[in-house]
Amino acid sequence: MENQNINEIYSSAMDEIGKSSTSEKLQELKIKFLAKKSVLMSLLSALGSLPPEERKEMGQKLNETKAKIAKAIEEKEAELRKAELEKKLESEQIDISLPSKRVELGGQNPFYVVKDEITDIFLNMGFEVADGPEVETDLYNFELLNIPKDHPARDMQDTFYISDSVLLRTHTSPVQAHTMQAREGKPIRIICPGKTYRRDDDDATHSHQFAQIEGLVIDKDINIGHLKATLELFAKKMFGEKREIRLRPSYFPFTEPSVEVDITCANCDGKGCSMCKGTGYIEILGGGMVHPNVLKMNGYDPDVYSGFAFGIGIERVAILRYGIDDIRKFYQNDIRFLRQYRKKA
Amino acid sequence: MLVSIKNVKKYVNLDGLTAAQIADGLTFAGIEVEEVTSLASGTHLVIGHILECEPHPDSDHLHILKVDLGKEVKQIVCGAPNARKGLKVIVAQIGAKLPGGEIRPSTIRGVASEGMCCSLLELGVDSKYLNEEQTKGIEELPSDAPVGEEDVLGYLGLDDEILNIKVLANRPDLLSLYNVAKEIGAIFNREVNIPTHEVKETFKTDLVVGSATKRCTQFSGREIKNIVIKESPKYMVEALRSMGVRSINNIVDIGNYVMLLTGQPLHMYDSDKLSKHELIARDDLNVDFVALDEKTYKVIPEDIVITSDGKAMCLGGVMGSVACAVDTKTKNIYIEAASFDGASIRHTSNRLGLVSESSQRFVKGTNHFQAEDVINFASFLIKECCEGKEFSNIVTYQSEEKVEQKLNCSVKRINNRLGTEFTEKQMKEVLSRLHFEIKEVSDDEFVVTVPTFRLDVTCEADISEEVIRILGFSNVKSVLPTLAVNVGGLSLRQSRLRKIRDSLLAKGLDECLTYSLLSNENKDKFNLLHDEEHYKLLNPLTDEREYFRTHILYSLLESAAYNVNRQNKDLALFETSNMISLSSRSEHLAIVLVGNALNQDLMKKEPYDFFHMKGIVENIFALLGIENSRYKFDRFSSNKEELHPGKSARIIFQNQVIGVFGELHPNAKKDVGLNKTNVVVLEMNLESLLEAKVSISKMKPISRFPTVNRDLALIVKKEIATGDLIKTIKKCGNGLVKDARVFDVYEGEKIMNWARSVAISITLGKEGTLTDKEITDTLDKIKYELSNTYGAELRM
Repeated sequence: MENQNINEIYSSAMDEIGKSSTSEKLQELKIKFLAKKSVLMSLLSALGSLPPEERKEMGQKLNETKAKIAKAIEEKEAELRKAELEKKLESEQIDISLPSKRVELGGQNPFYVVKDEITDIFLNMGFEVADGPEVETDLYNFELLNIPKDHPARDMQDTFYISDSVLLRTHTSPVQAHTMQAREGKPIRIICPGKTYRRDDDDATHSHQFAQIEGLVIDKDINIGHLKATLELFAKKMFGEKREIRLRPSYFPFTEPSVEVDITCANCDGKGCSMCKGTGYIEILGGGMVHPNVLKMNGYDPDVYSGFAFGIGIERVAILRYGIDDIRKFYQNDIRFLRQYRKKA
Repeated sequence: MLVSIKNVKKYVNLDGLTAAQIADGLTFAGIEVEEVTSLASGTHLVIGHILECEPHPDSDHLHILKVDLGKEVKQIVCGAPNARKGLKVIVAQIGAKLPGGEIRPSTIRGVASEGMCCSLLELGVDSKYLNEEQTKGIEELPSDAPVGEEDVLGYLGLDDEILNIKVLANRPDLLSLYNVAKEIGAIFNREVNIPTHEVKETFKTDLVVGSATKRCTQFSGREIKNIVIKESPKYMVEALRSMGVRSINNIVDIGNYVMLLTGQPLHMYDSDKLSKHELIARDDLNVDFVALDEKTYKVIPEDIVITSDGKAMCLGGVMGSVACAVDTKTKNIYIEAASFDGASIRHTSNRLGLVSESSQRFVKGTNHFQAEDVINFASFLIKECCEGKEFSNIVTYQSEEKVEQKLNCSVKRINNRLGTEFTEKQMKEVLSRLHFEIKEVSDDEFVVTVPTFRLDVTCEADISEEVIRILGFSNVKSVLPTLAVNVGGLSLRQSRLRKIRDSLLAKGLDECLTYSLLSNENKDKFNLLHDEEHYKLLNPLTDEREYFRTHILYSLLESAAYNVNRQNKDLALFETSNMISLSSRSEHLAIVLVGNALNQDLMKKEPYDFFHMKGIVENIFALLGIENSRYKFDRFSSNKEELHPGKSARIIFQNQVIGVFGELHPNAKKDVGLNKTNVVVLEMNLESLLEAKVSISKMKPISRFPTVNRDLALIVKKEIATGDLIKTIKKCGNGLVKDARVFDVYEGEKIMNWARSVAISITLGKEGTLTDKEITDTLDKIKYELSNTYGAELRM
């Protein structure tokens, strides 16, 4: 009789718990089945009136039932809480396509992207970065580079003069002389990025201001092969692993032999296209073996030391790499232009 | 230098070589060919004979022609004013491809036309070679022109290709067709044949030549009598045209022709116009000189002048005098072939604006030891073309001894320089092709004698270049140089500058590049730091770019205005650059903020103000590890209306003003075209930051004990700086104040108009537990100090 009653209570409790869908309802069930005044509890408190042999069995049964109901309510509660949270979170869905909270990274004039990248390539090859003034003397810009007064090569570079002997440097090469004098006959491996000036009217392909990166390596037994390998590595890092270089003889007063360096055209892979005028190659820089006179004038014995030097046009590299159609764009700083460029990580 | 393939072929065997191959060969031997062009072009051409010429009924200038083309007669409508019956003309037949397009059958105002009568212009001949009549109408061929001839370009001598050679400063010898032929011969290992000429001397001249200046080291002359001035022969007209020179008459043409072939400029004097039979080079005259162009030029000492009887007869190497000019009536002449100092010629021709083919050759350098050969060549041509029969001996003044340039060379040293493994035989073979004489000394050593026309070869390094440019750079072994110790990398200064730039980019500022040269008017605008004296150019291109800038800000504001004018309204721009003045050189940073700081696109806009810039500056210091106690800001004042006097500050570091920043003065905004927006600017000298010493700070232990926060709300007069309140709080807090921060500032209607409400959050703490009494005592002391020092009232 009592047993049957307990079973009924249990099944009705389980039934009601199963059906309840809110935590309020579960609270009610807790009171109904587990509070002091509930049937189960009253049976439990009435245990004492039972004969001892029944008391134990009945007590055990009652406690088990109570624990089962309590557990069921707890589980149901957890289930409801989870469902409620899920429902709440679902209602909180946002539009993830809205713009982010961030400060957009600045754009970098491609001039600097290229300048920094070239610098880094040579830093990784063990070069240092040297520096020299943009306002130079005739001595450093010309004479110490084997371009004496009235040398015909001076006509190659139309110069902005400040006085008879002071000028705006027409190339970064004066840094060669400065560095050699400062290092006093010790080996050298430097680059020097810097602004240079020539008396050219500004148009799409000319600029009175532009920039170069000078390179200079001096040591014992340096030869053209070293220049070639260094520039090959540079070309591959800067323009891609597939690029090859080619040296063509040329003339600069401060190098002998002098070379122009061409790389295989990135546009057509050297097959010939409109960009390289069908030649498969594009001229990127000039260089050569440091002229013995330059070594001598700047304190290096040409019988002991030799070296190579090169000059890379920063804007020229940027123009080739990005297909920029007008050199004046570098100096206008339209942010729609600047924001197209960013240093590679 | 224009090189005609047809002409150069006369002196070097070019069998089997195309113009393009020759151009490539030259280019890879260091002689850049900029362009290969045809002198003229056109297919389906034929020589025709105009049989009939009737006016077009429907036009006031067109003619209807019947032209005999040899095989057939065609009707052609022609607009040329000189079209007439009987004329021999060039006809482009249907299908002809001309530089301007293809000829098709057409109907012109109702009349069918089957071809076109051509001018040389229409065949692509440059107008500079043509006279006025030739440019206005169709080409008039000689009456004996063969009708039906289809090789019209050949008949006209226009079947030629032209190499445009860029002659670099080291190779002036290539301003001579003979030397180009030698060069091509060396490159392709072909036979070269430069003719020599002689004429028979018929009398002794009484001409005296000489030089009273070091600027003329050699002067040769010859007298020639009874010449006839007339037109040049066809071959010479064509040769000159192919090298870019227009024919004038036989004697002028001979001068040009000889110069183009040999590289030696000549000058001719009408000897009957000279009062004395002498030609003396001098450089001490100060006179007015009437030149061939009938203009008067001022001759000054140091100009090389050829005088006769003390009078200037020629501006050496530049232009002759009208007084002794050869004209159509000239009978007797002196020919001059001299050597002048290039620098002097350069100065004279640049000063007077007289730059010619001949002055250019002297400027770049001529062969000083070929004058007599050249005069003989000219004489030979005069005999051929000018009916010259009486030639004198050649008189020569020479102060310079012919010294052969001999260079000691070593196979090993040359290979070491080049990174090659050429054999002695290879080197010697190349050098002898280039006309160098070689004398063997040992297995490794040899002596090279440089030909006199190669002015550029003066040392062994030059010989190495000769070897490599002919044998090719593909023989160079590519090897990376090795250094015992790797010492590369950026210096501290360089890496700090890089860090500053990278951090500004990360903060969303765009990195700009502007010109270093400014106008006089703009050079001092927005120069917020010290005034320094500018470098000024002697020869600026324009007034806009005359002074080397000593600050960046003006240029950057120009970039900002450029953007704002193009609807780029929200800007954060920066630039770092090296500034140079007469007294110093320093790295600067400038920043311009315009419009709004954007976050989450346009959803969160915040107009840029003073405090954005202040934050950027503080971050730069922090980035370099410079604590905020080492620098300070104070008010910036200036009598220039450039910055807002209330919203600007100076940056003080190491007792120096190193920067100024703030919002632009409303009047200044107009000046730079930014009047409709808010603008915040900065100019900073980075030198002291790049060089600053920064110590490594030891770790400070983090307290285990809890801190206590208390807020104070204060009413203070507006002129009291909040920063001072904070400093006082920190100072008087018995060492218990760990931090004090502003969290609200209010000015406005709710309080008195002289006052500002400031709310400050104070953090108290110590190594131990704070007691209530300690907290109360500290706060009381702070309140007392604030009230006492600043008259601050506590607001509850």
